[in-house]
Amino acid sequence: MTKKYAKPEEFSTLELMAVCGSRQIKNGQVVFIGTGLPMIAAMLAKKTHAPAAKIVYEAGFIDSNAKEIALSIADSRLGYRASGAIGLIETLGVMLQGGHVDLGFVGAAQIDEYGNINTSYIGDFEKPSVRLPGSGGGNDIVSSAKHIVIIMTHEKRKMVKKLDYLTSPGFLNGPAAREKAGLIGGGPLLVVTNLCQMDFDPKTKRIRLATLHPGVTVQQVKDNSGFDLIIPENVPSTEPPTLDELALLRAIDPNGIYIPRTK
Amino acid sequence: MVESAIEDKRITLKEAVKLVPDGAHLFWGGFGFQRPPMAFAHELVRQKKRNLTIYTCGSEMDIDILSGAYVVSRYEMAFYAIEGIGLAPNIQRRIREGAIEIEDYTNLAMALRFLGGALGVPFMPLKSMLGTDLLSKKRFRPKKAELIECPFTGEKIVLVPSVRPDFSIVHASRVDKEGNAQIDGIKGEDIEGARAGKKVIILAEEIVDTEFIRAQPDQTVIPNIYVSHVVECPWGSYPMMVYNYYDYDMEHIRRYYEQCKTEEGWQKYCEEYITSTDSHTDFLKKIGMERLMELKAKKPLPY
Repeated sequence: MTKKYAKPEEFSTLELMAVCGSRQIKNGQVVFIGTGLPMIAAMLAKKTHAPAAKIVYEAGFIDSNAKEIALSIADSRLGYRASGAIGLIETLGVMLQGGHVDLGFVGAAQIDEYGNINTSYIGDFEKPSVRLPGSGGGNDIVSSAKHIVIIMTHEKRKMVKKLDYLTSPGFLNGPAAREKAGLIGGGPLLVVTNLCQMDFDPKTKRIRLATLHPGVTVQQVKDNSGFDLIIPENVPSTEPPTLDELALLRAIDPNGIYIPRTK
Repeated sequence: MVESAIEDKRITLKEAVKLVPDGAHLFWGGFGFQRPPMAFAHELVRQKKRNLTIYTCGSEMDIDILSGAYVVSRYEMAFYAIEGIGLAPNIQRRIREGAIEIEDYTNLAMALRFLGGALGVPFMPLKSMLGTDLLSKKRFRPKKAELIECPFTGEKIVLVPSVRPDFSIVHASRVDKEGNAQIDGIKGEDIEGARAGKKVIILAEEIVDTEFIRAQPDQTVIPNIYVSHVVECPWGSYPMMVYNYYDYDMEHIRRYYEQCKTEEGWQKYCEEYITSTDSHTDFLKKIGMERLMELKAKKPLPY
């Protein structure tokens, strides 16, 4: 069966980002999810290529089969046909730190070229201009999951040379730094933005352009990044959503809570 | 069982809040939108408590209210926002004013700090915070966390100090008058938190007969041995949610969020819903039976 792809005018950037996230989830994996776009991505993965993925929410819902969009990771909606409802010591302690979590999704207010994440402060630590929500379980997940996918918007003030505060560890200052620090997880695998997907160069651990979303140019990515990212000679374009994926996405979030209907 | 063998620990919400002196340290139960002790927060505001320190993983509108009303001056925690909506408006403002300070940890670090307190050991080890500013930067604690090499394996590990707050405040699903509590749905960090406090106050949606508890002892997540006081408090987490009991009132939460973006808006909210009502029952009357019935869980769904 050949895949029927949607045309660029048929999907929104947020829909494409959700599909990109979804495709990182492999069947059977144990996946840690937060609210927002990652939740939609996980629900889509379970309805398409990864029905046996086990979705875990740090508040304690295990192997959730939620049928409705939730607003909080502790939302009772996530308890629908879950296999367990336990607590944080179970999820972040035993499951995650114990080495059972394959993939974690996180957001970021800022990242640097090694995929280090800030979700705590904008401005100076002593006198911040904005107090962001903080780590929550973010630092725990990024420290100890085998792989991490970061989903965020691509702006110069968010892709920075130096973070205002390092909340969650990417590759710290380069190769072998995670191991040296004593971290057990594998670090970031992919950054999904509204412009592109970026992965990490295995040698230098620096961020590298992987695919460009339809209609986006390399120059646009450069202009919206505050650090120099590695640009390979040939950058393929991001695989668009299939018509099936789009229809499912719209059924998952019918009221446009996380993916507002723009077209 | 002989009736006299069962201790009756029931007190009213007002009496429970009166026990908390200014400057006390509290474990604050609930996680995100699930089972926050909202009614207890309202009563702390009504009784004008000051200078409290709160320990929790992540909380939302409940601690935003406590921040707005200047009840709490210090937090040790991991997360605060109105999830899915935006940053907690009062907390932002009070931080800018210098009225509150926050020592940042991670959710696992906080949960382990409660477990350490419950176990009676001075610290707990974990593999988070390594290599980050969470380890290298601190706000007010003389010692926030320590990086050591494990004496057995040599691996790097972070130690965080255990917590033994003066009170643990937990909103449960059901409790008997002796203090045996059941919690439906996720437990967040409440199992450990309830055991960490020097005194433990359990609020619950329902007070049930002790025979109900003893017919299914495997459902007890907080045994009476740890519990000092019990408070019957239906709809005690409204406008947030309690698993199997009621859904959140998103309309109310959004209105709160929008209104509290300004200090005047917050003052108006505080007066209308908290200080001009003289009890939790009075607050619920203001919300109205009609609205509450709309939010009641539609079983078998837990919301």
